[in-house]
Amino acid sequence: MSNVTISRRAVLAGSAALLASTAMPDIGWAQTLKKGGRLVVAADSEPRNLNPAIVASNGVFFISSKVVETLAEASFDGKDGLQPRLALSWEGAADGLSVTFKLRDGVRWHDGKPFTSADVAFSALQVWKPLQNLGRTVFKDLAAVDTPDDLTAVFKFAKPTPFQLIRNALPALSSVVPKHIYETGKIEENPANNAPVGTGPFKFAEYKAGQYYRLAKNTDYWGKDEPWLDEIVYQVLPDRTSAAAALEAEEIQLAAFSAVPLADLDRISKVPGLKVITKGYEGLTYQLVVEINHRRKELSDLKVRQAIAHAIDKDFVVKTVFLGYAATATGPVPKNDPQFYTADVPTYAFDVAKANALLDEAGYKKGSDGNRFSLKLLPAPYFNETKQFGDYLRQALAAIGIDAELVNNDSPAHIKAVYTDHAFDLAVGPPVFRGDPAISTTILVQSGIPDGVPFSNQGGYKNEELDALIAKASETLDTAARTELYKEFQKKVATDLPLINVAEWSFISVARDTVSNIANNPRWAVSNWADTYLAG
Amino acid sequence: MSVVRRFLRTPEAIAGTIILAALFAMALSASLFFPGDPQAIAGPALLPPFQDWSLPLGTDRLGRDVLAELFHGARTSLAVGLAAAAAALVIGAIVGTLAGFAGGLVDEILMRTTDAFQTVPGFLLALAFVSVVGPSLSVVVMAIALGAWTGPARVARAEVLSIRERDYVAGARVIGMHPLEIAFREVLPNALPPVLALSSVIVAAAILTEAALSFLGLGDPNRVTWGGMIAEGRTVLRTAPFLSIIPGVTLVLTVLGVYLAGEGVVETTAVRRSLS
Repeated sequence: MSNVTISRRAVLAGSAALLASTAMPDIGWAQTLKKGGRLVVAADSEPRNLNPAIVASNGVFFISSKVVETLAEASFDGKDGLQPRLALSWEGAADGLSVTFKLRDGVRWHDGKPFTSADVAFSALQVWKPLQNLGRTVFKDLAAVDTPDDLTAVFKFAKPTPFQLIRNALPALSSVVPKHIYETGKIEENPANNAPVGTGPFKFAEYKAGQYYRLAKNTDYWGKDEPWLDEIVYQVLPDRTSAAAALEAEEIQLAAFSAVPLADLDRISKVPGLKVITKGYEGLTYQLVVEINHRRKELSDLKVRQAIAHAIDKDFVVKTVFLGYAATATGPVPKNDPQFYTADVPTYAFDVAKANALLDEAGYKKGSDGNRFSLKLLPAPYFNETKQFGDYLRQALAAIGIDAELVNNDSPAHIKAVYTDHAFDLAVGPPVFRGDPAISTTILVQSGIPDGVPFSNQGGYKNEELDALIAKASETLDTAARTELYKEFQKKVATDLPLINVAEWSFISVARDTVSNIANNPRWAVSNWADTYLAG
Repeated sequence: MSVVRRFLRTPEAIAGTIILAALFAMALSASLFFPGDPQAIAGPALLPPFQDWSLPLGTDRLGRDVLAELFHGARTSLAVGLAAAAAALVIGAIVGTLAGFAGGLVDEILMRTTDAFQTVPGFLLALAFVSVVGPSLSVVVMAIALGAWTGPARVARAEVLSIRERDYVAGARVIGMHPLEIAFREVLPNALPPVLALSSVIVAAAILTEAALSFLGLGDPNRVTWGGMIAEGRTVLRTAPFLSIIPGVTLVLTVLGVYLAGEGVVETTAVRRSLS
């Protein structure tokens, strides 16, 4: 016989303590804050060039944003949605010809040299403007950067450039690289592109191809008491199904960018010790878009494009392809954008009968086999969801008598087929909305873009009115007027359908419960993680 | 009749025949039971099997009927398997006969080419071919045949080498038949049986190769294939394992059936030969 007696009071007290321990938030509690530790993260790709100043893409940021910092980072509650990083303040001149940045004092590069305005000038003029995939558009009119002192950089523009655009571009486009390392030799071939040197909370330590990247704590970081972690290891797990298993086995502590397949989230959210986080990607919205080749006679007819828009059941796509982790789209600006989005645009309800009627009206009658015409459909291979939507779209088109033939390619072949050879009729693409339509959205419908530019209008669409509107917005300085023009832009795109926006989605993180300060800014996965820690 | 009876006396032949017959029945009746596009969305997504009797094997990630896909997939698998094997046998028999019958430099060139093809793994060859030309059913058939014709070529050559010394070949030469006519009308038909014995192995391998290509996303995306179904199911392996298991088991049974039936045929003919 056991002589342990269990009183009701003891049980109550015990369960209350248990309840409190689970109910108490683990953020902001001094006693749970623990310095140090290693965070192991799943990485699903191994970018060759890790220089975020040249390749401004999320795959690169995911690793190098901890090493190389930007002038400002996105923020949930900061002014204009920004919080300072290397710049402390930014001020645009009324004429739109200059922007003045005040820089942070006492910042040092990882090799010990001081960070100055010369580094900012060098990065802007030698890297962002001529070499960066996105900077080429945004900084095209940047003429000079004056450096009156070590902590002031004044951007001078040849043509008036909206301050709002520059501001919105800061989190993704303004990675500052050290001048003293990049000034000799060709920038594209600099060894620091593979082992970046920056000012960030973590230093690049090592990379083992096919295995891992390791970042080590920067003990000389400017942030007080930061970073909290000792090191971050990116475990390369190219197989998406293995990330979930690795999390459960405690081999990794975090899988960002939906490394765990959506279909697995329901199950994994019930695994004790793991949490599913849908926040922290608000500034990284991907759009599911049907790209249209307007050189095809049938598709140059607005009625046909309207019919296709009516044939797509957006709710079904969100529910089945994205399992609810997405929103239906109305136009080229996502619903979650706080500055530019307008719901006041023509919408296309799911209506097969109407779609069929529109096609009949357009003069494409059903043949004896039930088909009106045939199309080549190229779903982008980057995401499971784009491929699945391709399968769905083929069925949706079959319902309105359009016979779509799926063509599967790998990534390089897809980019070549769609953006260089124009060998498609419809394509499914995942463009990214980056906080301002002028960064990477207007390029999707604007005419006059040379062949071969990926993620741009390569469908041969030309609408002078829309082009004029885009040009006007790009030189309108007044924020309110500029925002209004982009609302007009959304309306025009939704009316004329140069492409069809179907859905908008972000990513999901799955982490162990101990990983804290996750998702505390709208670009968390690609921010610097200086305040992330492991509660112990 | 006695051949059939002898064939049916071996248990593996019976098992193989039953499986193959079922498979052919599936392939032929696919349009009858499941008219229309098997990839059409038929119900709610990820319905488990044996829940709804109108969708007995459940549905996949998009709500497509798994049973319909399985039936139509049988069609693709069999078509690819048979067509690829036929192509491989035809190419192999022709190359082997020419090499064996002509001899000399022609033999050297043809057989060294065969060696070259044989040194490259057939699957790798198919993979490279499909990635370059682009995936479609005929390309997949060609790609598989490209890696499979070397076996038949070598067997055909060996047979032809012995047959071309026979008296009736010498007789044909004497009466002035064209060498090509002798090769393809007199020699080849007699060299065929051992070559055909390879066919079951080739069909089985072709079905597997096709499935592997589809699994890697290099199959024809406009057709249902078992390999493609397994690949689709892989992303939800933990939550809906049936999506990978059902086509996987069917694939195993099919390859087993083809192989067993082939074995049966070989054994029967071997017995007949020894009897004669």
